[in-house]
Amino acid sequence: MSKILLIEDDEVMATIVKRILQKAEYQIDHVRNGKEAFEILETSGFGFDLIITDIMMPYANGFEILSRVRNLPDGRQIPVILLSNAGNEDMVKEGLQLGANDFLKKPVLPAELLMRIRRVLTREPG
Amino acid sequence: MNFSPLEFLESIFFEFRYAPLIIQIAIIFVFVAIGMTLLAYASILRRRFRGYRRDKKIVRLNDQIDDLLIENVLSQDPEAVETPGQTAEAAAAAFQLAPFGTRWGRQVLIDRLINYRNNVRGTMGDEIRTLYLLLELDKDSFKKLKSRKWNRKVRALNELSSMEIGVADVIILPLTNSRNRELRAAARQAYIKLSKNEPFKFFDLATEPLLQWDQVELFRIITTTSHIAIPNFAQWITYSTNKSVVSFCLKLVIHYHQLKAIPAVMKLLDTKDHLLRAEAINCLGKMKMADAEEKLVYIYNNQPLDCQIEILKALGRIGSGKYTEFLRQEFMLSTDFELRKNAAKSIINTQAGDSSIVDELMATASPENKLILKHCMNPLIKF
Repeated sequence: MSKILLIEDDEVMATIVKRILQKAEYQIDHVRNGKEAFEILETSGFGFDLIITDIMMPYANGFEILSRVRNLPDGRQIPVILLSNAGNEDMVKEGLQLGANDFLKKPVLPAELLMRIRRVLTREPG
Repeated sequence: MNFSPLEFLESIFFEFRYAPLIIQIAIIFVFVAIGMTLLAYASILRRRFRGYRRDKKIVRLNDQIDDLLIENVLSQDPEAVETPGQTAEAAAAAFQLAPFGTRWGRQVLIDRLINYRNNVRGTMGDEIRTLYLLLELDKDSFKKLKSRKWNRKVRALNELSSMEIGVADVIILPLTNSRNRELRAAARQAYIKLSKNEPFKFFDLATEPLLQWDQVELFRIITTTSHIAIPNFAQWITYSTNKSVVSFCLKLVIHYHQLKAIPAVMKLLDTKDHLLRAEAINCLGKMKMADAEEKLVYIYNNQPLDCQIEILKALGRIGSGKYTEFLRQEFMLSTDFELRKNAAKSIINTQAGDSSIVDELMATASPENKLILKHCMNPLIKF
């Protein structure tokens, strides 16, 4: 069972994603901001198969989280999917340049969310 | 000496009774003030306690709604659904619970459904809308729309527009021109989202101004709402007496690159209002209307500063290079710093591939002008 870390400050969005992923039999941990994300990443020894993070969040935004994860030796291999409702081209480009594996625009399509997660998780680490 | 409480009160009453009038008034005032303060504190505590209990109830009810929605709507396989609304019909039966029979419970349910709809798209989003209709929550929203209180009306408009439920023009159009700023903005936003044929009809009636923030919100809705019928904005640029509507239409002309509106924008160069004129010049520049250059240079000397700045900017944006000499003259001879700065920037914009004029100016300009040129050549500085 793949373990996913969801970083999302919107309570409803987090509930939706959590329930969809739980239904698909993923193990999911949810935190509300970058600060909590790094606490859980450190305590778990970066033991996640995938990180899904929102972009607009308090303390540290999704890009900051992504670049910090990518700069850590243990974080380089963890796939990251960015989630945002402001998915303009520049944002997608910036996210992918920082090393995101995929970009999902809100509102989500449950089937698309699952498909993208499966695709990222089955990709060979690179 | 031992005093009983009664004797103590008697002595106080005695003191009060024979005290000077001014002291009596002061004592009464002190007691009234203390009483009112205690009453205020008690009322605050009561409100907070009720709020706390209400929040707890909302959290519990939201959890219940989440479970029902996830179980009955989001967990359903969209591939297995044969007819649209099938999932919602099955889910509606699950929502026939006691808390959703009360007005308060139905309001919590409406808010939660809207939250879900904003976060989920595709078939699931449509099913949530159908569920809202099947549970007859739209009736609650329409009831609120008829309320006398403006805040209930605003709430209803937000609910109906989030759920994309059509509202008759006779109800919503008068609200788009309400004297209440919040109601007016909500009605205009809802009208654009809900009116399929003429989403901008309220421009014809708008006598109240479109405030800057309202314009930002409307712009966001117009540009993000799909299947919206975009009209020719020239009609309002030409005929509207509401300056804020004309100004907003100019921004929309730029966004949609509406070339058919250009003749109307050109006519606006003769308007008496210099703010509108400056916006029209800005529009022509952003649309890169090379045909407008001659007129802009012709009217330049008779314009106030804001229009002159916009003309210089427009010449730089159009970038035909036909009026480089004019820009050079303005840069060299103008006494106004802003004019020199914008002329310099426009010279640099129009000379992207050929730096001979810039080199010549760098060699001959005054130290201050050289500084302006260097500043304008910095690609990180935007105008």
